[in-house]
Amino acid sequence: MARRFYINSNGRIRRKENTLYFEREIDGEIEKKALPINDIDSIYIFGEININTKALNFLAQNDIPLHIFNYYGYYSGSFLPRKKNVSGSLIVEQVKHHIDNQKRQYLAISFIEGAVYHILRNLRKNGINKDDYQDIEKELFPKIFKTKTPEELMAIEGNIRDKYYQLFNKIIENENFYIEKRDKRPPSNPINALISFGNTLMYNTVLTEIYRTQLEPTISYLHSPQEKRFSLSLDLAEIFKPFIVDPIIFSLINNQVISLNDFDTDLNYAYLNEEGRKKFLKAYEEKLAKTIKHRKLKRKVSYKQLIRLECYKLIKHFIEDEDYKPFKAWW
Amino acid sequence: MYVIVTYDITDDKRLNKVRKVLKKYLYWCQLSTFEGEISEGKLEKCKSEIFDIINFEEDSIYFFEVKNPKNIVKKVIGIEKNYMDNIL
Repeated sequence: MARRFYINSNGRIRRKENTLYFEREIDGEIEKKALPINDIDSIYIFGEININTKALNFLAQNDIPLHIFNYYGYYSGSFLPRKKNVSGSLIVEQVKHHIDNQKRQYLAISFIEGAVYHILRNLRKNGINKDDYQDIEKELFPKIFKTKTPEELMAIEGNIRDKYYQLFNKIIENENFYIEKRDKRPPSNPINALISFGNTLMYNTVLTEIYRTQLEPTISYLHSPQEKRFSLSLDLAEIFKPFIVDPIIFSLINNQVISLNDFDTDLNYAYLNEEGRKKFLKAYEEKLAKTIKHRKLKRKVSYKQLIRLECYKLIKHFIEDEDYKPFKAWW
Repeated sequence: MYVIVTYDITDDKRLNKVRKVLKKYLYWCQLSTFEGEISEGKLEKCKSEIFDIINFEEDSIYFFEVKNPKNIVKKVIGIEKNYMDNIL
């Protein structure tokens, strides 16, 4: 139940009396804010922050990851405390599933299967005409199960994504946010900026959850692990991007919460400004805190916990306890 | 669950110790009051830390525990001293 903290302003993080203090200057006065150490899940830093080793050591003691983003909201890196949940034997199993092509493909397909399921679910829920996405459902979706390599799979996934993003224009009710084509690095217009920002958040939420399990975040299946990133979090995020991030974007735009004023005008509206980020983060937090009754566990589970459960399912798959089936929202 | 803790402690030295413990788990809300959402396990841990500090003859600490956080409505008159916000 611990909370994620998003720091947008500039200031300083320090350790004092066994809690973390965030200090910032407001009108010449220093405002101190105590963040109870037991109530912190992870910290996301978007502003300019000073932090010293004393505070970092304290974070490490309490297993709190710190994610850092640059001025444009791009992910620059994380401070991950020494992992306490380690399991050599699990890493061996994870690698085995990577080098065996068939086993790797099984997982890669599963991730995409989960992603496409949620893509279709989004389209259906937003009242898109069935004929419009028939080619995704009838043509492209069955194809993914026949692919032999992750590259082939990624190509089909790319086609599905293209079609999907085209349909965004039918869901979005504000023409300022129409999507022409999806691009990143840098995003060229507001909608791309929203998608990029949301996906970045998703990667780091998934990474935080992976960090809490015994899984090794660098060994991945769909993405090639040479990418110098924690690519397993990219794999798992595939499932959750259309499930969590995209609906947030639709509701933010269609309910007129976010407007062009929330973007940096100097840069062609391609980046969210501080206000915009705060609005997005608020919606994101609310989404992650949402709960549903889990069918198998027979108790309430928050969306954030669903991510953790997905990690556990992977572990079960690796130790050959239960075959991995991607998460599919059943409601 | 949601908990509101208020305390009255006669000795300043003990008072500071209690305050420091509470600060690790909950949010300071005004003088001698803390509040916040906390799991039952952590609350027990917090209580046991406090048990070791206080003098049972002189001090008093109240825990108002609300099982469902949705049942709590906080209305503030005058200034609100501290926001519980995770987007800073």
